[in-house]
Amino acid sequence: MDKGAANPEIKDKVVAYLHTVQKAKSKDIATAIGEKKSAVDLAVKELTAEDICEYLYITTTYICIKGKVGAPE
Amino acid sequence: MTEKKTPQLDELEKGQWPSFVTEIKKAAATNAASEDLLHLLERSYEDRIGHWKHGGIVGVRGYGGGVIGRYTDLPEEYPNLAEFHTIRLAQPAGWFYDSKALRSICDIWEKHGSGLTNFHGSTGDIIMLGTTTDHIQPAFDEFSEAGFDLGGSGSDLRSPSCCVGPARCEYACYDTLEACHNITNEYQDEIHRPMWPYKFKIKFSGCANDCTASIARSDCSVIGTWRDTIQIDQDAVKQYAADGLDIQDRVCDKCPTRCLKFNSETKELTVIGEDCTRCMHCINYMPKAIRAGKVKGATILFGGKSTIVQSAFMSWVIVPFMKMESEDDFAEFKDLMGRVWEWWDENGKTRERIGETIYRLGMGKFLRECELPPVPQMVFRPRANPYVFWPQDEIIK
Amino acid sequence: MSILDQGPPDYKKMIPPIIKDNYGKWIYHEIPKPGVLKHVSETGDELFSVRVGSPRLISLDFVRNLCDLADAYCDGYLRFTSRNNVEFLLSDASKVEPLIAALTEKGLPVGGTGASLSNIVHTQGWIHCHTPATDASGIVKAVMDDLFEYFGSMKLPAKLRVGLACCLNMCGAAHCSDLAIVGVHRTVPRINDEKIAKGTEIPSLVASCPTGAIRPNPKAKSVTIVDDKCMYCGNCYTMSPGMEIMDGKNDGCAILVGGKVSNARNVPSFSRMVIPFLPNNPPRWPEVTDAVRMIVEVWIAHARKGERMSEWIERIGWERFFTLTDIPFSDKLIDDYIFSRETFRTSATFKY
Repeated sequence: MDKGAANPEIKDKVVAYLHTVQKAKSKDIATAIGEKKSAVDLAVKELTAEDICEYLYITTTYICIKGKVGAPE
Repeated sequence: MTEKKTPQLDELEKGQWPSFVTEIKKAAATNAASEDLLHLLERSYEDRIGHWKHGGIVGVRGYGGGVIGRYTDLPEEYPNLAEFHTIRLAQPAGWFYDSKALRSICDIWEKHGSGLTNFHGSTGDIIMLGTTTDHIQPAFDEFSEAGFDLGGSGSDLRSPSCCVGPARCEYACYDTLEACHNITNEYQDEIHRPMWPYKFKIKFSGCANDCTASIARSDCSVIGTWRDTIQIDQDAVKQYAADGLDIQDRVCDKCPTRCLKFNSETKELTVIGEDCTRCMHCINYMPKAIRAGKVKGATILFGGKSTIVQSAFMSWVIVPFMKMESEDDFAEFKDLMGRVWEWWDENGKTRERIGETIYRLGMGKFLRECELPPVPQMVFRPRANPYVFWPQDEIIK
Repeated sequence: MSILDQGPPDYKKMIPPIIKDNYGKWIYHEIPKPGVLKHVSETGDELFSVRVGSPRLISLDFVRNLCDLADAYCDGYLRFTSRNNVEFLLSDASKVEPLIAALTEKGLPVGGTGASLSNIVHTQGWIHCHTPATDASGIVKAVMDDLFEYFGSMKLPAKLRVGLACCLNMCGAAHCSDLAIVGVHRTVPRINDEKIAKGTEIPSLVASCPTGAIRPNPKAKSVTIVDDKCMYCGNCYTMSPGMEIMDGKNDGCAILVGGKVSNARNVPSFSRMVIPFLPNNPPRWPEVTDAVRMIVEVWIAHARKGERMSEWIERIGWERFFTLTDIPFSDKLIDDYIFSRETFRTSATFKY
């Protein structure tokens, strides 16, 4: 994974995309918004630290907007 | 608390092996969740099925791994297990502790958890078994104050682990503890922020005895070895013979390549160096007389995993020998990992371990795209069919 | 506030002074008695490790108890092994016997070295797993009680490594053990349309089936199963709680033998199935403990000194293994999954 600070524009694009889906793998986010996956990973790192996004484990790890997916019923 | 009985579990307090039931009861004396756990387990012994639901979304701020959500499917009957999550703490290399560190873990878990733990989980982490969603962040805050960080979970790098290595083993061909510690610290993002198709495990074993079972249990196995020839101390050989070891029978005849010759008259042991495959048998039997060669390093293997789904794979030799001594050597290892992970991330399907990706797409493609030179050490034997995918630039047009 | 990404504690701060002084300088070790290792350094220093069995699932009392013993006998230092044993690290030889006496008094077994049965590596089972086909801790306790004499002695032909996995995910990596106990399902998952419709990605669920037995059922926003194709691996249940595979009447254990991870002598090998099913019969799983003891005793009776389970079986041949153990052979033990071909005999040489 890349080191350093994330590109704020990519962060915005990630958030915008995640609002259109329930959840996504970061690889699929990268494809959808046309950015490098390593840059998306870095953006997600910051977005989770900022409590905007969160990781979600459902048989593999996805990313979603925080609070969008609840606990299992 | 109502007086519920646990006749089946009580039976498991008998016998000489230390009882996990006694341990749960000890925790249950002061913790309501552990008390419920005891009764839920008794219920499982009656029903002969488990009573836990699939994991959900629990964790600490900024991380995507290290906490495993767990909920019972019988929350009305066992309300203190409605949430019973696991926190994984990264273990120190070689699982060495001082009592101060262990006591600090106990004090925090007494406050925030069930009072039950595993030393250790299958991957190597300290497992803090059972807490509620509300307690996860405060528990982590205190664990991190005490010098502990979370391990991996989900589709990330799981906590690497290593054998006891040079800390207490004469067989270690490289410093497994330093390698594990150094590489674990390099990859904190990869451990805490799941970003891959699926999980990835690394295990470091100092020699081919492979005490971490790396070849079976890790996607990347780093197994200590040497390039030159074993060193034999003839005086020590004579001592073993004098002490009654049947060197011919127990050592030479068991050597898989028959590369050792014992002269029963002179009591000298010689080796045909180029025939030796460095399996460790003779060294295991005669550690005072036989030592590894002087040019030490590690064999790097990839692809190990367990049964689900396409059958179990053992790791395959990818780099026969890599030095593992200095920061530069670790940098070479990290460079390799970077290429391999990028390839897997690009090509792997969701929930596909790297061994399965390599097998599906072909070892040749994996080697070419990760710029790894093919060498005969990678195979037991070459292919028996002629179905080669020829590169177009080798075809006469 | 938490500290992010500080990594694991530094092992250099956790190792005792005698190890700091002799790091990388050990020249050989001996096993003066079962459960005790003596490592000798080129400096002449001697380190004694006392190995102790643990149930792995332990209370804080247990951990604090270990701390008290470490404080009293080894300046507060101890470690754990890859097989969940505890090792007390002593630089003073005169403290070894007093420590062993203290451990014995507390009911903690000393052993697991050399040609012995070490602790059973195992998974969570009914304690905490969401996909188990059997319990883990209970069977381990029953088997270790039954074979207890082999933990504290070194009278086996070679080391014996037993693993237990409560389902085919095999978190305990039982698949390369001398003897493996593996939880298995035997019935087709019962489909809960409502649960599947609620939170499952149908394409992922369909793709998760290694035999292609799962088909989409768009009407119910669920799936159907071709029963004949299902081999009960449980991968779909991991994907969706709506694929209810746990079956109290039909789940149980398989026994596999002859695996190893060490490269010494022969190459690492997978464990092979010899008993396809034994019932879950808690709390002591007598069918499992009997089968394990029988296999271990036949190995003891017939193996040469130094021969691990896999070496013994490969020398005598698997066909002889079934004769000697009197385990019934059936078509269930002949592989019919994707990598089966290499297991079929392609030679006219064999034994009876």
